[in-house]
Amino acid sequence: MNIAVCIKQVPTRDWQPRVNDGGTWIRDRDVTFETNEPDAYALEEALRLKEKHGGSVVACSVGPERVAQVLREALARGADRAIHVEHASVEASDAFVIAGALAAAVRDERFDLVLTGLQSDDQGFAQTGVVLAERLGFAHATIIMEVQIESSTVRVKRELEGGWFQWVAMPLPAVLTIQSGINHLRYATLKGIMAAKKKEIRKVAMPAGLAARQHIVRLYAPQKVKRTELITGSPAEAAKTLVTRLRETARVI
Amino acid sequence: MIADAPNTFSTADLGARTYRFLADVLGQRQTLRERPLPGLAHALVFWGFVAFGLYTTVEYLKGLGIVDLTHTRWFAAYRILLTPFAIGVLVGIVGLALRRAVIRPVGLGQTVSIESLVIAGFIATLMITFLLAWRLDEASLAGQVNWWVHALVILAFLALIPASKHFHLVLSPVTVFLKSPELGNVPNLDFEKEQVGLEAVKDLGSKTVLDAFTCVECGRCQVNCPAWGAGKALNPKTLILQTQDALLARKPDTKLVDLYSDEVLWQCTTCGACENQCPVGIEHLPLIIGARRGLVSNGEAPDYLGGVYNHLERRGNIWGLGSDQRQKFVHASGLETFDPRVHDVLVWLGCAGAFEADFQRSLRALFDILRGRGVKFGVLAKERCTGDSAKRTGNEYLFQELAHQNIEDLRAAGPKTIVASCPHCVKTIGNDYRKFGYEVEIVHSAAFVEALTRGDQSVAGNPRERVTYHDPCYLGRYAGTFDEPRALLTRFGAEVTEPTRNRDNPYCCGAGGGLLFADKDEEPGSRISDVRFRQLQETGAGTIVTACPFCTIMLKGAQSSAAAVGGAGEIQFVDLMTFANGRLSKVG
Repeated sequence: MNIAVCIKQVPTRDWQPRVNDGGTWIRDRDVTFETNEPDAYALEEALRLKEKHGGSVVACSVGPERVAQVLREALARGADRAIHVEHASVEASDAFVIAGALAAAVRDERFDLVLTGLQSDDQGFAQTGVVLAERLGFAHATIIMEVQIESSTVRVKRELEGGWFQWVAMPLPAVLTIQSGINHLRYATLKGIMAAKKKEIRKVAMPAGLAARQHIVRLYAPQKVKRTELITGSPAEAAKTLVTRLRETARVI
Repeated sequence: MIADAPNTFSTADLGARTYRFLADVLGQRQTLRERPLPGLAHALVFWGFVAFGLYTTVEYLKGLGIVDLTHTRWFAAYRILLTPFAIGVLVGIVGLALRRAVIRPVGLGQTVSIESLVIAGFIATLMITFLLAWRLDEASLAGQVNWWVHALVILAFLALIPASKHFHLVLSPVTVFLKSPELGNVPNLDFEKEQVGLEAVKDLGSKTVLDAFTCVECGRCQVNCPAWGAGKALNPKTLILQTQDALLARKPDTKLVDLYSDEVLWQCTTCGACENQCPVGIEHLPLIIGARRGLVSNGEAPDYLGGVYNHLERRGNIWGLGSDQRQKFVHASGLETFDPRVHDVLVWLGCAGAFEADFQRSLRALFDILRGRGVKFGVLAKERCTGDSAKRTGNEYLFQELAHQNIEDLRAAGPKTIVASCPHCVKTIGNDYRKFGYEVEIVHSAAFVEALTRGDQSVAGNPRERVTYHDPCYLGRYAGTFDEPRALLTRFGAEVTEPTRNRDNPYCCGAGGGLLFADKDEEPGSRISDVRFRQLQETGAGTIVTACPFCTIMLKGAQSSAAAVGGAGEIQFVDLMTFANGRLSKVG
């Protein structure tokens, strides 16, 4: 079972976001970065599958020099090697570009499974895994809560809305986008950190001809607005309107 | 064996070591401290042995035909002087033998040690023969028999020493001298040398090997251990004896986790009672934490710690909360960022101070007191956990990461004095950060506020409020701060009813060493916190005063468990700072 895990480096949650001068993205000069949380669960799931079925785990990331940090962390936790697609202007890329870059990097390696996090903590498009599957010609499933390998197929539990789940089976190779909380994350061990120094991070160039199809027009913090509405009419009518408002507009009941 | 072991001997801080040697070896301080009567008996025997050293040498010089000094005048005077010592030894050894054979305290184990009784018999014989020599003519047959019995018993004794726990006669002075002056000193790992902690018997350091053979099996570590006291598997004495057996068995590759068991290694709260009470200089914590390091480095920490480590790595605090929570508290409390030109002291909030509602109340009380006295203080713009939980559970890499980042921020801020309300922060910044070359004065708020309000009139109410005070291990035992909290309480109108196990030898609340997070996994009825809560309850005081966020969490948990079965009574918890500030406000 050879597994690729796609990892995105995102700003830490602790960081107070500030918008850049163009108003299109965050000002990332003074940002500290970390592994995108759902991707950490994807890595953990890959490591568990490897422990159960054998094989190898390869961590992949697209971005500038700094993404080597999250790849090192993945190696310290037990990934066997890493692929770093060097890309300076990651903020100007959409899921289409990133998925294209990842597809080019992993296509020749004949992975049985490609795992990604469900979505990224910063942009939250939830598209990279899906587009990647399409580009690789693999089957895919999203919002995965459990993975069972059965020789040449994989059975997965998907999370639906409202507390419902769905089991889906599909042939391998496949792309799965993993939901946070699917497992318990392991911590980086001292031996793992030492071993990571000796593991390979292969650098590859961005493939040519990828252009973003989506552009962020404006990024802004939600504005606080105070709105008061006086509900008029008879008590019975007013109560009825109030219930409707609470249920449908405020969604608190 | 000692030569084969990795060298962990240190003679740094000679002054403290010499003082301890004089007090504990010559003065028998540790032996007397906890058990005054048996301690005195032991001291009589020990002082007798020292006094008799020269006598035995002189007699052997004569017996071997080298030189006969027995007829000199000083020897006659020396013999007279020895007589009270001989009586002292005799009284002492008879007392000790009776204690061992008849009274049989639990710390000495289930069976009566025959070997110990033989040794006691030897010592008694030596003293009796010495005293008899006054009465018998040296040339007579009886006199000759007496002399030979004395000489042969000495030889037998010398032969028996190395093979028994009486080897401590030889080793303990050295072990006491080599014991670290700092309690719970577990030196940092050097990652450049690929150190990962203790994994197998062959990794045990030379001091630990020496410790294993110095143990006299007196059981002070055992009876003071809160884990053992709560009926858990951990017994620090067993740990040392298992080490001795493993070394004698010459199986260097035996895994420490197989030797001691996983369960035992994770039951230690690092309260330091065992190490602190040991009369022969044994250090248990480097062994326990060292073995934990070996496990953690291989990814074999208990599950509950995995989450804590991830929280510390990603969020820099044990709760896994975002730093905006701390920002909110800092903002709401009107705290300024520390600036050495403006502020006298830096207040270190700590994980609990920044994120735990109960403890935030305590910190606000501290801020009030400081403001009321005109002390100008500030806080760091950003704090991470000091790394206490990581250090004590053996995640050395994570600890050093956190320590280096904090030290960098502290150096940049440049405080001369830090005040913290968490005793674990005090120990970690004060002792563990020092090993990275960061020197700063760090004071627990109890000591700082005590000194600040020393000139105050006592505000004793009438009647005084009866409280009991729980000494946090990291404050009372580690930092030696146990008079100050009591002085504060008394000054502000309380009458302190002491619980059993207090001051510099408190009974742990059960939180230390990462066990704060293990609470839920523990077997009900065997929780250390339950035992401690009952001890505090038995004082009959209506208020329990604490001075550590973790103690409060654990003891409140124990109170709810007790309440669930209807045995909690009407007891309230108050943090020391909240108590002091409450009284100050009433007066003000």
